[in-house]
Amino acid sequence: MNSFERVVATVNFKKPDRIPVIAQVFGHAAALSGVPLDKYIQDGEILARCQLDALEKYEYDAVFTVVDVNIETEALGSILDYRKNQYAVIKKYALLDDYDIDHLKMPDCEKSGRMPEVLKALKILKKTLKDDVLIVGCVLGPLTLTTQLLGLEKALYLAIDEPEKFEKLLDFSCNVLTNFGLAQISAGAHLPIVFDPSASPAVVPHNFFREFEAPRLKKLFHSFKTGGAIANWLHIAGPSDTILPYYPEIGVDIANFDYCVNSQVAMSALPETCLDGNIKPLAFVENNESDIISASKQLLNMFSKRGGFILSSGCEIPPESRPETIAAMVQAVRL
Amino acid sequence: MDAPYSKGDKMDPKKIDALIHYLLEGNSQKAVVSAKELHDEGISKEQIIIQGLEETMIQLGAKCTVEQFNLLEIMLAGRAVMEVMKYLYPEGTSPEETKGTVVIAALEGDVHDLGKNILKMVLTAKGYSVVDCGKDCTIQQLVDTAKEQSPFAIGISGLVTSIIPLVKQVREVLNSQGLDQIKIMAGGAALKQSLKEQLNVDFIADSAFDGVNYLEKIRGK
Repeated sequence: MNSFERVVATVNFKKPDRIPVIAQVFGHAAALSGVPLDKYIQDGEILARCQLDALEKYEYDAVFTVVDVNIETEALGSILDYRKNQYAVIKKYALLDDYDIDHLKMPDCEKSGRMPEVLKALKILKKTLKDDVLIVGCVLGPLTLTTQLLGLEKALYLAIDEPEKFEKLLDFSCNVLTNFGLAQISAGAHLPIVFDPSASPAVVPHNFFREFEAPRLKKLFHSFKTGGAIANWLHIAGPSDTILPYYPEIGVDIANFDYCVNSQVAMSALPETCLDGNIKPLAFVENNESDIISASKQLLNMFSKRGGFILSSGCEIPPESRPETIAAMVQAVRL
Repeated sequence: MDAPYSKGDKMDPKKIDALIHYLLEGNSQKAVVSAKELHDEGISKEQIIIQGLEETMIQLGAKCTVEQFNLLEIMLAGRAVMEVMKYLYPEGTSPEETKGTVVIAALEGDVHDLGKNILKMVLTAKGYSVVDCGKDCTIQQLVDTAKEQSPFAIGISGLVTSIIPLVKQVREVLNSQGLDQIKIMAGGAALKQSLKEQLNVDFIADSAFDGVNYLEKIRGK
């Protein structure tokens, strides 16, 4: 089996030749290649090259074009601050002065902000890897994009104070993300992972997620499947226990679970959904290789009978991680 | 002038319950009206804080256990608390006596400040004086503020792991300025994955309430 076939088999609860291992290596790929992070996040060609270099070094089962959480908001008018060797941060929100979304224009994925760089990276990865390795694009969840347009506090207060305006903005965000995700699939992504950190129960209650976000995620994922995504992958960090039961209805095929979620709880909540996780991200910085192997083995044992499991970190592996620890996780599935 | 933290104000329990109810509900307007009614009846500002705002935070803290912690509920209550504080202490005035000063910051490279803002709201409601250094704050700014304000503790919030090397330096820089007595508390999604020994801090808080409980403990409140 090649990496792509291995992941597809696992997602469908068929027996792979070995458990897939997907390190959530984003900015770390730049560090590994000696490229400043600010260059990595602005240039699709550099991004693709660094991802390919990291793949060659670690030999895991997927590559990512995850850049940062500001691609979409930048394309909609937010102004970013690009700092040396750091992820970009928002300097001015697109909806800073008013909540009127009527002046927001639907981005052109071929022209707006760094969206074309993401598409460029995907085309290079697809040309190089074809269907040998899973190629993962990325869009935000509708709630997270909304919070990136207004700022988290303002967005959440808007949800309570003016729910109609908030829902209008959520719907607009959902349309932006649908277009961007479909453009990524056309450019070569096997699927766009949906990153939705603002939808975490650490931020909003589970009933808020159910009412506002779940229906829009369902719509988004339906569009991606129709557009050719091989699976739907949802990534919500933090204590997601209370929202996991909503995932099947949303159409999630792969559910990321963070280090703070108990594996048994995740398995019970999602008996028929592929799970990926959940080694503590900071462990790749602070711990040693034997700790990572031990944590990996524990997870592999726990999921050995169930199947439908991809060994991974709970969230992004920090850019400053020690390569030895990432290599240890990859090695664990081959022991 | 109100007596600071005087005991014995005769307060209608129904009215204080109403204030707590509106604060927990996040209803700023009605919470301010309730606080005004209490104050008009002669209840001191300090008693409104102790029996109304502090009690709200105790109830919210008990409700928002680590397992059921969500920021939205706390934000809404916190916004109502801050509105009541603004009514009690209009701009330019402040409580005469507080439980002590805490300096808070998100360090350079971290522009996420919601966690820090939540801590500020909870500390304010619990009767502390809070000096907010904002986000993206340099260690020098933090230490300069500590020298000026003489806090008993510093709270550092961190959502990104890249600030960890900076967090580790804070103790040493404080000590070099003779500020050894200041306790350092860390929290936030990135920092709480670590250990206090690794970060060279005195406490790692799981949540804003966990942090406040630690501060109450070291102040003997």
